Amino acid sequence: MGVLMGLITGFFFGIVLQRGRLCFNSAMRDLRLFKDNYLWKAVVLAIALETIAFHFMASMGWITLTPKPFMPVGNIIGGLLFGFGMVLAGGCASGVTYRSGEGMTTAWIAAIFYGLFATASKVGFLKGFVKWLQGPAFKVEASSVSNMYTSGKVGPTVATIFHINPWIPALIFAALLLWYVFGTKTSQRGGKGFNWYTTAILVTFVAMFGYWTRGTFGDKFYTLGITGGWKNIYSTFTGKHLEWEGAEVLGIIIGAFIAAVASKEFKLRMPRNPITYVQVMVGGVFMGIGASVAGGCNIGHFLSGVPHLSLGSLLATLFFILGNWLMAYWLFGKKVRG
Amino acid sequence: MADVKVDKTLDVRGEVCPVPDVETRRALKDMEPGQVLEVLIDYPLSKERIPANVEKEGHEVLTIEETGPSEWRILIRKK
Repeated sequence: MGVLMGLITGFFFGIVLQRGRLCFNSAMRDLRLFKDNYLWKAVVLAIALETIAFHFMASMGWITLTPKPFMPVGNIIGGLLFGFGMVLAGGCASGVTYRSGEGMTTAWIAAIFYGLFATASKVGFLKGFVKWLQGPAFKVEASSVSNMYTSGKVGPTVATIFHINPWIPALIFAALLLWYVFGTKTSQRGGKGFNWYTTAILVTFVAMFGYWTRGTFGDKFYTLGITGGWKNIYSTFTGKHLEWEGAEVLGIIIGAFIAAVASKEFKLRMPRNPITYVQVMVGGVFMGIGASVAGGCNIGHFLSGVPHLSLGSLLATLFFILGNWLMAYWLFGKKVRG
Repeated sequence: MADVKVDKTLDVRGEVCPVPDVETRRALKDMEPGQVLEVLIDYPLSKERIPANVEKEGHEVLTIEETGPSEWRILIRKK
């Protein structure tokens, strides 16, 4: 049941990612490189809506919130590595996953190496090195602050640090994001994809469905993720079972494939210069190690973790953005500015 | 739009994100005002982002033509 629910969640997520062209690498990078905030607005609106939705679902008792641990060293170092990696790979964790379904061969290579090195960081030859880079991890007993949190130790959030009702920071945070989204000018974009707010609303529904199904039928109360899913898929080769998150990643590829075929956007795309394959491979390696050191990728930390107001997710996200901007500047900055 | 004279062609099919966008900008920078750039592209995100961004810069998008399965030809006149 968990596997089926993961597959369904991923299937719809894949459709939304493909039709919305929702790539976090582009969202962050375009903001600075092209002064274009179109995809960034989709991400910020989705996070505002998810913040309210997750807290509401937890208040109703449908889910319990499980913020990721706070790893100051790992969140920073891993965040930077992941940020560098996604620019080299030409897509974030979800970007290379959904574009694999669109027929982009560079995304296949990036995704394969990303998954391989994420797996090696957890169970393989990189395990010790990654653990060392990660530094200490902090967790707190959050269920004493609010019964909205999963019992036992979870990562600290703004609410658990200040011992306040989680709704207070959640509403302030969501209001600030909404003020930014609707109070500032949004870049224009034509074409036949979903527009930015449709994408954000649909992502929120997928994340809500994901949180509920993963907690109820799957491995734990959390929502969308990519890195753990790829690790799960690789571990099935060594006899492990496919779980919710691995099925979700497979679902994304299938959903994106069907959406791309239906909208006549499926094509096997190959760059003319084979060096590009080496670049995306290196990018995938950086992403795999970076996400493991940081404890999550742009979906696990950014899209899913930030709505919890988890300190670890907030810090990792900040360094995803910094890493992305730095690498984009090194690779493309001169060409754009001339 | 077969009557438009193309001054330069940029084939960025198969390139990773955001190479098509960056190369389009660079090509426009090196051209003379009034000249026409032809961009051949197969990546949906860039096919939508390039016209929006070049128009913001003041250039004119003459046509976006579907030339094959997930392949487009964009004609841009430099301002």
